[in-house]
Amino acid sequence: MNKKIIIAALFLFVPVVAFGQDSLPPQLTIKDINGGYIRLSQYRGKVVLVNFWATWCPPCRAEIPDLIRLQRDYRSRGLQVIGITYPPQKLVDVRRFARGAKVNYPIGLGNKKTKLLFTPNETLPMTIVIGTDGRIRDIIEGILLPEEFEQKIKPLLK
Amino acid sequence: MKRKSLVSATAVFLIIAFTSIGALAITKTSTIRVDGMKCSKCSGSVEKALKATPGVEKVEISLDRKEAVVEYDDQKVTEAKLREVINATGFKAVEAKPDSQ
Repeated sequence: MNKKIIIAALFLFVPVVAFGQDSLPPQLTIKDINGGYIRLSQYRGKVVLVNFWATWCPPCRAEIPDLIRLQRDYRSRGLQVIGITYPPQKLVDVRRFARGAKVNYPIGLGNKKTKLLFTPNETLPMTIVIGTDGRIRDIIEGILLPEEFEQKIKPLLK
Repeated sequence: MKRKSLVSATAVFLIIAFTSIGALAITKTSTIRVDGMKCSKCSGSVEKALKATPGVEKVEISLDRKEAVVEYDDQKVTEAKLREVINATGFKAVEAKPDSQ
């Protein structure tokens, strides 16, 4: 009887751990907009911000200049931004937008499966914060506010 | 005895002073039309940014009416600042109607 309860509890607990903070991020490899691949594992040791966004989403577009600035200003302290479009978008649209905005970090084309690797939450934009140890430190829903960067991301940097 | 009266008078004065300051802080409600806010996935950023603004007490977002109803302390934040905050989220705050004072 006790064994059954423990097994049932484990089934309930596992999805929460999989999507929660301090869990290991998935092995992610996706195509980028320049014909190459983005592998999450290649950024191990850096603080990685995986930013889910869409070209048609006003807050996503509004925060891109801030992400560009953060990438530029904090690259030397180990910050790496990765943009992943979600829901699926045409490569030509994403490439045009990224070039126009002069995005200085890699952008990959995502889909529902990509998003579900991190979270079932559908909010846009959505930023997954991964620490230098490779663990998910935070999931920031909506536009990244300056105070959130100061409190949740900056302390993780070198 | 004289000292006791002085303490009592000071206490009364302080109570009146604090009550008056409290009465001056008026919660104002503004209904701000937000153009382009039609996506339920991304409208959360408007609510998030407004709620993070000092002086804002309550925010209600209506996607149907494309508006944000904001209750705020007008001693701490202005309606113009609220529109700025909305605009910074990528949407366009087009007008603000004061509902009450």
